[in-house]
Parts: sequence; C-alpha cells; structure tokens
Amino acid sequence: MIACRDITFRYPGAEAPLFDGLDVTIDKPGFHALFGPSGVGKTTLAKIISGDIDNFTGQVEAIGGMRCLYTYNRERLPGWSSVGRHLEKTTPPGRQLLRDEFINHFGLAKLMGMRYSQLSMGQCNRVNLLRYLLQDFSILIMDESLANVDEPTRQTILYKIKSIFPKAGFLYISHNVVEVARFCDQIVVFRGAHQSPQTCRINGQDHREDRPLDKTALERSMLEIMHAA
Amino acid sequence: MKTRLAFPRITAWILLCVVGSSLISADPALAKEKIAYRLKWLINASTAGDVFALDHGFFSEQGMDVAVKAGGPERDAVRELELGYAQFGVASADQVIRALAKGASVVVLAQLFQVNPLQWIYRADDFSLTRIQDLAGRTVGITYGGNDATIMRALLATVGMDEHQVRLASVRYDYTPFFQNQVTIWPVYRNTQGIFLSDKLAAGGERVAFFDPSEHGVRFVANSVVTSTQMMDHHPQRVGRFTRALLAGWQAAMAPANESAVIRAVAKYDRDTSEAVMRRQLTATRQMIQPDPDIPIGHIDATAWQQTEQIMIRQGLISGPVNVIGRLRRHHAP
Amino acid sequence: MLHRRVFQFFIVYLLGIGLLFGIKLALNLSDYVIPGPTGVWHTGQAEFSRYMGDVLDTFAVAVIGQVLSILMALGVGVAGRRATWFGSFIKVAAYNVQAYPIVAIAPILFILLGDGFLTRLFIAAMICYFPLLLSVIGIMSEPVVDIEHFYRVTGRLRWQLEVKIRAFENLHKLTTVISGSATLAMAGTIVAEFIAANAGIGYSIRIALYQSDLSKILVALFIIGITLSLYQGILELLGAGLKKAWAAG
Repeated sequence: MIACRDITFRYPGAEAPLFDGLDVTIDKPGFHALFGPSGVGKTTLAKIISGDIDNFTGQVEAIGGMRCLYTYNRERLPGWSSVGRHLEKTTPPGRQLLRDEFINHFGLAKLMGMRYSQLSMGQCNRVNLLRYLLQDFSILIMDESLANVDEPTRQTILYKIKSIFPKAGFLYISHNVVEVARFCDQIVVFRGAHQSPQTCRINGQDHREDRPLDKTALERSMLEIMHAA
Repeated sequence: MKTRLAFPRITAWILLCVVGSSLISADPALAKEKIAYRLKWLINASTAGDVFALDHGFFSEQGMDVAVKAGGPERDAVRELELGYAQFGVASADQVIRALAKGASVVVLAQLFQVNPLQWIYRADDFSLTRIQDLAGRTVGITYGGNDATIMRALLATVGMDEHQVRLASVRYDYTPFFQNQVTIWPVYRNTQGIFLSDKLAAGGERVAFFDPSEHGVRFVANSVVTSTQMMDHHPQRVGRFTRALLAGWQAAMAPANESAVIRAVAKYDRDTSEAVMRRQLTATRQMIQPDPDIPIGHIDATAWQQTEQIMIRQGLISGPVNVIGRLRRHHAP
Repeated sequence: MLHRRVFQFFIVYLLGIGLLFGIKLALNLSDYVIPGPTGVWHTGQAEFSRYMGDVLDTFAVAVIGQVLSILMALGVGVAGRRATWFGSFIKVAAYNVQAYPIVAIAPILFILLGDGFLTRLFIAAMICYFPLLLSVIGIMSEPVVDIEHFYRVTGRLRWQLEVKIRAFENLHKLTTVISGSATLAMAGTIVAEFIAANAGIGYSIRIALYQSDLSKILVALFIIGITLSLYQGILELLGAGLKKAWAAG
C-alpha cells in the first residue's frame, strides 16, 4: 500500500539528516500507525508520503488510485460560518448521509450551530477529522487527530472508521501505546536517527468492535512496541 | 643635561601658548560678535547686498561674525527675532505691521527696496495696462493671503473698482496657467522671476510688459531690515554697526563696477541662475534699491509705510492703527 | 470607542495648546509668535463655520481618496501576494511609484489634472495607499496554513477563498490599518491642497501661513483633529461591526 525506499531527508539548517536511507513498507490497506517519541520524524515521514514535503531523495509509492491526505490536530475551520454550514459546504455530493452518520457517532450533533472558535480542543479535532473522512482518499494520515478526545469517544470513532473504510489505508500518528497496539494493524516504530534500522514494524491487534480482545496478545504487542522504541 | 631640560621647557611653552590663546579668545574686545541675520527669501539677486556684505568683509570690519541665513515660505524673521534665533532679519512691511498689531516689539532699521519688486507681468502684444481700469474683465493672478492680493485689492480700491470687475485667479509657484494663457496677468518679482519669464516668452517670440502698482499710486513697502526693540534699546551700537555694514555692503553691491564680484558672491548660493540672467536681474534690482541717486540706499519711505498701514486697515488685515511710523528708525549713512 | 477617540483627541489637543501657552507665558512672547487664549477663541468664533466647511470639503476628498487607495492596495496586494514573477513585478512597480516624492509629482499633476478635485484626490490616494499596500501585501502573502491546508489538499483553494481566509484571519489588523490610513488620507489631501489646489482646509492653512496667523492654524488643527477622531472612531466601529457580522455568518 505504501512503500518508502531509501528516503534521505535533512531539514534546511540541520546538522544531520533526519532520515538516512529510510525504508518503510505498509503492505496492505487497513488501520496502521506511526509510533515513536517526539522529534523522530513521524510527521516528516507523513508529509513525505502525502506530498507536503518534496525535497527528499528516495522513492515513495502510495497505491490506491486516489489521493493521500494528511490531516493534523492543529487545523482550524474558517470562523465566518458555523460548523454545520462548513461541513455542508465541504461534503462532496452524495455523502450527506455519511456525514450525518459521522456527526452522530462522533458526538457532534449539538455543535452544528456553533462557531469553530466556540468548540473545545477535542471537539475541534473531531470536526476536523470528520470533514477529511468525507473526502475522496486512498490513504488518510491522521497526525494526532484525536488528541484531547476522551477515551470512549476515541474508541467509538476508531471502530467506526475501521468499519466504514475497510479498503482504505490509514496511518495513525499517536503517542498512546495502548491505543496504537489495540487498534492498529501494522505499527511502524521510529527508533531515532542514529539507530539502525531507523524503524521497525510491529504487528498490532487491529481490534474491531465485533471481535473479542485478546488481552495477552495486546500486552505482548505493547511490550514489543516499547522494546522496539 | 640638555636633554633632561628640554622636556619641561617645551611643556612650559605649550602651556604658555594655550593659556595665552585662551586669554586672547576670552577678551570680549577682540572676539567677534556672533550675529544671525535671517533673510526673507532664498538667496538670489534680491539679496545681493546681504551676501556681498558678508563675502567682502563688511561685517568683519565692524567686528561682527554674521551668519546670513536664507529665508523661505516657512521662515519668519520677526518671529525669530522674538525667539532669539536671529538678531536681525528681513521682513516685508505687511509682516512688520501684522506683528506690531499682535504686540511684537520690532523696529525697522532700513528699507532695502524703494520700489516694490512685486509687479504683474503680461504679454505686451495682447493688451496694454496703462490704467488700473484696464484690468477690468481680465484674469489677474493673485496669491490669496499674500502681499500681491493686498496690493491688487488696494489698486482696485483706488479707482473704486469692485473685485468682481476683474477675474481673480489663485496662483502659486507653478507658471503653467500663465504660459497657457489661462491667467493673463501674473504676479512676479520683477527683478528675479520677471527676468526669467521675459526670457522664456521672448524665446517664443512674445514680448512682455510689467504692471507696476507704484506707478498707479500704491506704494506698498517691500523688504526691510528689522530688529527687536530690545536689541535696539540694549545694544544700540551693535545695531548701528550692523546697519552700517549692511548698507555699505548694499551700496558696494549696487555699484555697476562691482557687478562681477556680486555675481560671484550670489552664485555661491544661487547655482541655478546663469550669469547672464543674473546680470540682468542685478540691473533690475539696482533700479529698485536706488531708483534716485539722491535717495540713499536703505532710506525709509515713511509715507509709503503709512500708506501700507492704511491699506491693511482698510482691508481688515489688522484691526486698528499700529503707528508704524513710530517704529521706523530714520538714520543712515553707510 | 467613538467617545474614547474624541476624548483622547481633546487631551492631546489641550496638552499641545497648553504647552504653547505655557511657552508663551514663560518666554513672554507676543501674540504674533504664539497667540493668546483669547485670540485663539475669537479666531475660533470668527472662522469656525468657514473652516468647518473647508474641513468637510477636504474630508470628502480624503474619504474618496482613501476608498480608492484601499481598492488599489487590495488589488495590488492580492495580485502581488504570490512569490511569482508577476507578483514581484507588481510589488516593485507599486514601490517605485511610491518612491517619487509627491511634491515633485504635483506640478505634473497640476498640468495634467488642473488644480481642482482630481489633483487633490490623486495626491490623497497616493499618500494613503502605500502603507495600506504594505499591510495588505504582508497579510495576503502570509498563508494561514492551519485553515488553508484542508482546502489545498482537497483541491478547493481558489484565490478568492485564499484572500477571504487571510482577510478574515487578519480583520483586526486590516481595520486598524484602514482606520490609521484615514489620517494619511486627510494629511495627503491637505498636502495636495497646500501645493496644488484652490479649496479645502489645506488651502486655507496656506493663506493663514501667508498671513502669519497661528490662531487660524490652531483653529484649523482643532477642526481637522476632531473630524479625524470621529471618522477613525466610526471606522473602528464599522470594523468591529463587520467582524461581528462576518463571524455571525
């Protein structure tokens, strides 16, 4: 689904490259994660995959026929219209029902008449993610898109996404090891620029709403992630 | 031994020189008085005597170190006298009378122009202005608020003409409306702008003539040398020396024999006017500074001053008499 | 907002005039150098209505000049917001035009447009527009990434939307600059009247200067100041109202 080969990238002015011959592969659709401490390059790799950063060397292949979208948790909606009106205007034709379904499941129904500036940070993030989910995409990179959202709501949202988009690819960037280990299928763990290899891939539990959770397997995944990092 | 003594000796000599020179410079009898002299306008042929007096040491001879400062639209010598920025200055008669009306203490030391250079230029081939009445129906340029407006109104009043019988047009430094014949009678300083404009029109084959208010009974006084009453009362000798030096400078500057030297002095400040034009400007200036050889340079024409005051009262420019005659210092012997 | 503006102006004016009277008193200056309070009061009574008419005349030209300069600055600012060759060309051209001192251009304007309304308007707009242009270019060339990202990646970011986002996000800055530019427009018109017109308060000030009448100038300054304070206050109110209305959808 996503293949990054021999990626080398250095931020202008930085002494050392952030990536030096990095290889990352996600070989199937589904809900995957980029995990690691701050500053190791999760967002940078996400932007390289989505095309927001193009001054790197190496190859990126993102297969799926539609675009790769990148969304992050500090995005804002314009302040001149209400949340509901904004969502109406940005919903592609034919997806109004999906939008309403998301609104209900994301717990946003009461916020539709409000301005973005009136929302809490968690509400802002949910609204932002919602509008991206309504667009055409093959891969959606969610950079801390559910930050500041309470645990049960986050869980509901993740289950919903996984059930509605079984064929799409998601790259979920989070610092929450439990969440990543539980909900994600393949987890690319970033180990830092000076370690070799720079990343390693761990299998998560890819848990869905309709399946029981194997707690032992979850703990194992969590230990593997922590060990890899 | 000799070497040892040399150092203290040299030091003693240096000290002696320093102390001696400081004593000399501290002696008020030997130090030159610093004087600031503010002109009415930029330096040109109209200020020939001022710069000539400076350049040829007339002030120095009187023990004065004079800074001749160019004037301009935003400069007002009377104000500077009161504020102490200048000790002497050049002001127009209306400026002096207005200042007196508002309580300023100013004294007129000398009247530089016996004939007011402010006149009106027109194309001699188009019409002729022999009488004030000839202005009727014509477009006459005036600077609203300026001397020329006062003079023109006074001219019209002398023959009982109403302002509406002429077309008064507001003018400023740009001559385009005159060149384009939109304003046919244009106010100029006859001895400076008048020469330049004559040349310009002559180049196009046009002849010019000037309408001189003094020939029609309006003798509105122009530039005069002024100082403060305080200066006059407390330093009469300084005033005397300054006036003598200045008028001697003017006397010398107006002598045709000194023309080249005057041009060199003026050209140091006025670099835009050619020598040929300046020569003609000086010729015109001479006729206004001393139109009659029997009247000394700097002569204060009390009658003209009185008339100027009367005109200003009639036009409501001052609320009442200021007795300007009492502020004229009649003297002179360069 | 409005009353605060007027109140602030009164304080500044009274402090200024108080300082002048203080200097007059301390240095024992005549009314010719600095007029006394009675002189200013009498001049005010005599000239107020005439000067008020002149100020309103100037003000009308200033407002039209300001509107023109806002439109010009927006046009050039929007066209020159991108770091493209055209954007850079527009900016350089706009800067160069401004580099010429208006007093040097005035005689040319006088020949082309005469000494009436158009010359005043043109000079007012020229003096007022450059600071506006700098602000507009500054605002328009600075992306609001957190808002624009979604529109950009989903292919919705047309130039109109980009301008709308940047204008909305910087509305306070824009209204402050526009309100501040009112002063420049008024000053520009007065300068125009001073050098190339036969009407307006600038022309009257020129006449008062010829007559060395500081009282008239102080009265003119008072009327100009109060008119500008009111206008700026109204602009600020309008700006706040616009933001409120826009934010309310």
